[in-house]
Parts: sequence; structure tokens; C-alpha cells
Amino acid sequence: MKHFIRLLVFAISFTLSAQESLPTTEIKTLDGTTTSLQEISKQNDLIVVSLWATWCVPCKNELDAINELYTDWQDETNVKVYAISIDDSRTVSRVKPLVNGKAWDFDILLDTNNDLKRELGAATVPLTLIIKNGKIVYRHSGYTPGSEDSLFEEIKKHS
Amino acid sequence: MKKITVLIVLILPMLSFSQETDTKDNTIFKQFLDNLSGSLETNGQWYTNDAVLGDFEDPLPEFDLRNEHIRVNSYLRLDYSFLENFTVGLQAESYEPLPLINYYPEYNDTRIATYYANFRNKKLDITAGYFYEQFGSGLLLRAFEERQLGLNTALRGGRIKYTPTDFLDITALYGQQRVAFDVSESDIFGFDTNFDFTKAFEIKGLNRLSLGLSYVGKKEDFTPPVNEFDPENEFDITDFPEMINSYSARVDVDFGNFYINTEYALKGEDVTFIPPALPGDGILEGKYFDGNALIFTAGFSKRGLGISNTFRRMENMTFTAERNAKDISSTEFQFNMQNLNYLPTLTKQQDYSLANIYIYNTQPGLFLQNFGGQAGEIGNSLDVFYNFKKGSKLGGKYGTKFTMNFAYWALLDAEFNQTESTYNAEFLKFGNRLNRDINFEIRKKLNKNWSSIFTYINTIVDKGVALGGNLGTDGDIKSQIVIADVTHKLGSGKSVRLEGQHLWTKEDKKNWAGATLEFVASSKLAFYVTDIYNYGNEIKEDQNHYYNVGGSFTKGATRVALNYGRQRGGLLCVGGVCRFVPENTGLTLNINTSF
Repeated sequence: MKHFIRLLVFAISFTLSAQESLPTTEIKTLDGTTTSLQEISKQNDLIVVSLWATWCVPCKNELDAINELYTDWQDETNVKVYAISIDDSRTVSRVKPLVNGKAWDFDILLDTNNDLKRELGAATVPLTLIIKNGKIVYRHSGYTPGSEDSLFEEIKKHS
Repeated sequence: MKKITVLIVLILPMLSFSQETDTKDNTIFKQFLDNLSGSLETNGQWYTNDAVLGDFEDPLPEFDLRNEHIRVNSYLRLDYSFLENFTVGLQAESYEPLPLINYYPEYNDTRIATYYANFRNKKLDITAGYFYEQFGSGLLLRAFEERQLGLNTALRGGRIKYTPTDFLDITALYGQQRVAFDVSESDIFGFDTNFDFTKAFEIKGLNRLSLGLSYVGKKEDFTPPVNEFDPENEFDITDFPEMINSYSARVDVDFGNFYINTEYALKGEDVTFIPPALPGDGILEGKYFDGNALIFTAGFSKRGLGISNTFRRMENMTFTAERNAKDISSTEFQFNMQNLNYLPTLTKQQDYSLANIYIYNTQPGLFLQNFGGQAGEIGNSLDVFYNFKKGSKLGGKYGTKFTMNFAYWALLDAEFNQTESTYNAEFLKFGNRLNRDINFEIRKKLNKNWSSIFTYINTIVDKGVALGGNLGTDGDIKSQIVIADVTHKLGSGKSVRLEGQHLWTKEDKKNWAGATLEFVASSKLAFYVTDIYNYGNEIKEDQNHYYNVGGSFTKGATRVALNYGRQRGGLLCVGGVCRFVPENTGLTLNINTSF
């Protein structure tokens, strides 16, 4: 118990200075090309990243909700959304048909052995990030109905 | 090691606080913090005695004696990057005063569990220390972490990844597998390469054509067992497989709408174990068997439609860091520890609680002497995703999303000669059925504020798989489940979700009903209450409610969740790895944060 309290105090003291720089961890596109969060953010000033999985109901709810608004978001802010699947080899073959079946318009990336998930310290999915000029400026875990609106408010702040 | 941990934990926060008081002289320190990132996950539970389900009991007798009702598992990860290309890091883990129930008992202390140093530039990626890795789909090697199940199969050693061009990569590694706070007494060697033809030869009209080749070797010394009843009898070690060489090849082709992914693996000869009930020294003498696996996925997808079919055949594919972990009477086997490869169950992974009662578990192993013998698994899983367009008859105003999954898994058809300890398995013949699963899901947004998900599941699971025992001979559990999940937005971030579930079965514990009510107060704060009720149980005293109430608070990178209630016993499976969990009642606290 003592250890636990020490750990807690320790971690909380660090949250005062949250991580800003981007992981260079390798992730793959659907056609097998290797890239990383850092590289993606070099190509775009403002991106939204959502860590999701085919078996995660709230993740799919979030991405369905964003997909409906995506065209409007892009018209207004030039934001680009990347949906990074953490499906491992149990379910990764469902990613491509699911994305097409749902007619999502995002760029899809794969983190099959969860290296990026570990590096971002995401204990649960969905995890949503806003990345502006290579820095994480907003972070939220979990999805609740309607939180896509507050996400867009945040996006507008940074656009 | 323990002292070091404590020291670090004590000093660093002080430094961090001191930074607050000093605003100008802190450039070095600020830089240090900018380059430091990490996360903390803490899962604590207070197990309480339950008037209905009984007093709290740890399934491990030695832990039960200590009578610890409050237990906390914590994971602290720190990464520090410097000089552009370098990163060092560690993960400290704490299981105090004992691990949560159903964790591998050696997770029982506070220590630095993993550490590493990494150099990475465009072409080279070199790691010393602990690392995670996966070759192909993981048929031969996957080093990964799954905290919920207490699995961490990181390798301790070294790894070099070399990517000279964008169409070729090469990985070579050596390591010993992490086993709780220790490492395996075996050496693992690996080599993997991927070649992308589309990029190398700029093939037009093909999105992808790539070839991958892997090698995994495992070396473990062997001390022959002494026969208790006949000490004179020496174990014949001629041809004993101390070194196991395994190979795999894979091809991925993507024509745009149509794609194929396939992988074949050949695992070198390894031992089999004689079940404890039969006479013998444990390891079967003089008979060693190789294994193989074939996985073939074909898919078609275009906007609005996705179809994917996966066929997989596995024969004697259990591959463990130490051979003893293959013995079903070992603690390591029971806790799914020491797997080198990853052979997940390929049925659809369900989120809802009643859909997780009768589930299938993959059967990759060879058990020559157990029951009638079993050599592996063969089967198929088909997924269809379809979007009824907005404005169409079934699509309505917002479109309707439809998902279907069909899965069929069976034992490999094989003939066993148990007196000779041999077997012969057919290549493409299905043996006794273990699982058949058909399920549908329809997602429909009704109007601006109402949306719904309907799920129907019709499953047949072999009794041996669901409840334990002989496979494919003791009959099935047939069940049907209907789930309705409706969300109502109340505006300004508030919403209510109601979920109703029902399971029908004539077998085992019979019918169940369940409901969940969730209230979201804002994107930060949510509460829920849920119950599943085994009202159909023929034993009146066992018609239990498994209720839970809880809430969660999320802010930025921090999430805190609190829950009180009863957990249903049964098989706990995440990502195809399963373990039996007894019923328990208590208060759970989860804290995650990252920085």
C-alpha cells in the first residue's frame, strides 16, 4: 500500500508537465507502409488521432459520430482525422472491411502489437488526441454521446 | 532493486515540485521534464465477504491463508528521450500486498520489471534490454503485454531492426522471455524480413504484394527425469529436441477492393507430456512431434460493403518459452504463461456481459494421451459489414449499419494410436464440432437524439470447451442472446443509455436476463448501474444477481473509475487467452494517468 501511494504521488506530480512530444513508434497503413505519429504530424498542421478497436463499442460510436460531421469539420478547420486501430492479430483482419462497411472517411492506421498504445500510456480505448504542429495539445479517454461536439470546440481553438 | 525503485520514486517527485517554486533557474530541469514521458495504471480491489456468494476466498491456498482483502496492482512506465535518437525507459510494477486474484502468483512484489535503451534513426532501430515484438501474424513469435490478464512476454536481450529502403526490412533478435519478475531458462533467437514487391518494382494496379519470412529458434537444456519406481531406467536422450527451429512464410496481396493475406508456419519437433493421471515421467520418451499452422484470409471491400473470411488450421502449435509450460498440470500452463506465439480465438469478440458466458476458446495444442487425444483445430470465420445508404428504404434518414459474423470451429480430424504414442491428422478434414456462431448487429440512428444497437447471437459451444472436460464428445451448449442498446442524448453533453439483454439456453445454468442503465453527466463524468440475473437456474439458491454500480471521472490524461459489485465466475478471456475466475464481490478502483 505504501508503495502504491508513493507511485501515485510520483505520477501525479508529473502530470503537471504533460507529455508534448510525439512518439516515433512505427505504425502501419492498411497497405503495409510504415509511418509514425511524428511523420504524420509533419505532413499536417492539425490532426485528430483516435485509438480504437473493432471490438470496442464506444470507439465505434465515436468514429461513427465524427464521420457524420467530418465533412463540416474539414470545411471549417482543415483538420485531418486518423483512426489508429489497436486490434491485434485476433481481429485485425476485420479492420479493413469494417472501415469500408461503415463508409468511414478517415485515414486508418494499424498498431497491431500495441507499441504506440503502450507509449501513449493508453490503458483503455478510445483515446482521442489533438496534435498541433507536432505537439499533443489535447487528450481525452473514453467516449460519451455528444463529446464529439466538445472535441470540435477544442479543434476550433487550435485551428 | 527494491531500494532503487523506492529511491527513484521518492526523489523524482521532490525534484518535480521544486521546479514549481523556482521559475527562472529551471531550464535544464524543464528540458528534462519535456523529454520525459510516462504513465501510471493502478487497479485496486477490496474483496468483501458476500452473504449470498460466500466469503472471499483466493483460489491459491497459500495466498488464501494470508487473508488479504485489499490488493493493488500498479504499473509505472517512464521513458526518457535524449540526443534526438536515444530513448531509455523502465516499467516498475507493484503487486501489494498480494496480486489481484487470478494473477500468476509470482507477480508478488514491487520491482522494476522491465528496462531498455533504444537508438532509432531512419534506417536503424537498436534496442538493448526488454522489448516487444511480433513476427507476421504471431504464429511463431509475439512478445506483448496484456495487463488485465497478467501477461507480459517481453524478451530481455537485444534487437536490431534495419530498414535500408522502403521496400525491405530486416529484424534480428535474441532474448529470454520475461516470466513475472524473472526470465525463462531458455534462449530465444529470431529473424524476420519483409519485402514489398509493389514498392521495389513499382507495380501498377496492385496496392500491395509483399513477402515475409521468419525464423524463431528456442534452445533449452534438458535434464532427464529419474523414474521414481525404476531409478536404473535411463531416459533415452537421443534426438531429444533441446533446440527447436521454426519457420514461417507469408504473402499479402491487395488488389484494391480484393485482398488476400496468408501465412504458413512450421514449428520444429518438441516434446509432449503424459497426463499426471497416467504412469510415466511426465515427458513422453523418444517421441517428438512437429507442428504447423496455416492461416488464409480473403476479403473484398468497397465503400459501404466489407466482406472478410479467415480460414485457419493449427496442428500441435503450442510453443512455450520453457517446455514445462506445455504441461497442463503446470502453474504456467494454467495461467497461460510463457507462450512464445499468439494463437487467438477467431470468433467475434463481444462487449456485452451475457455474450461472454458461453464462449469458444481456441484449441491449438497436441494432447496425445488425454482422453481420446486431440491434435489441433480447424475452422473458419466470416464477417460481413454493410451500410444501407442514407435515404434508401432500409437506410432511412441517417443510414443503417449492418454487421454479420459466422464462425465454425472443429477439432482436427485425426487418428490416435495411444499404445504406440502416434497419431495421424488429416490436412483439410473437420473433426468433431467445437463451436458454431452466427451473430448480427444493426446500428441505427433514429433521430437527432436517439440511436440504437440491436444484437442477435446464436451460438453452439462444445461442453468440454465451455465447462471443461473432454472435447467434442460430451454435447453442446446451444444459446441465443438478444441485446438492445439505446442511447438518448439530453443535450449539453448529457445522455442516458439503456441496455437490455436476454440469454436463452436449455443447458447448464439455463436462462439469464440483464440490464444496464448509464447516465453521462458530461464528457468527464459518468455513472452506471448494471445487473445480470440467472433467473432460469434450476437450483433456486443459485439464482443469483450479479449487480454492479459505479462511475468514472476523466480529465485530460487522467481517468478514475470506481465500481462496487459482484463478478460472475467463469472463463476470463481477453484476446483469445482465457482463464477460470471464481465469483467475487468487492470494491474496485482504477486510476490511469499519463504525462
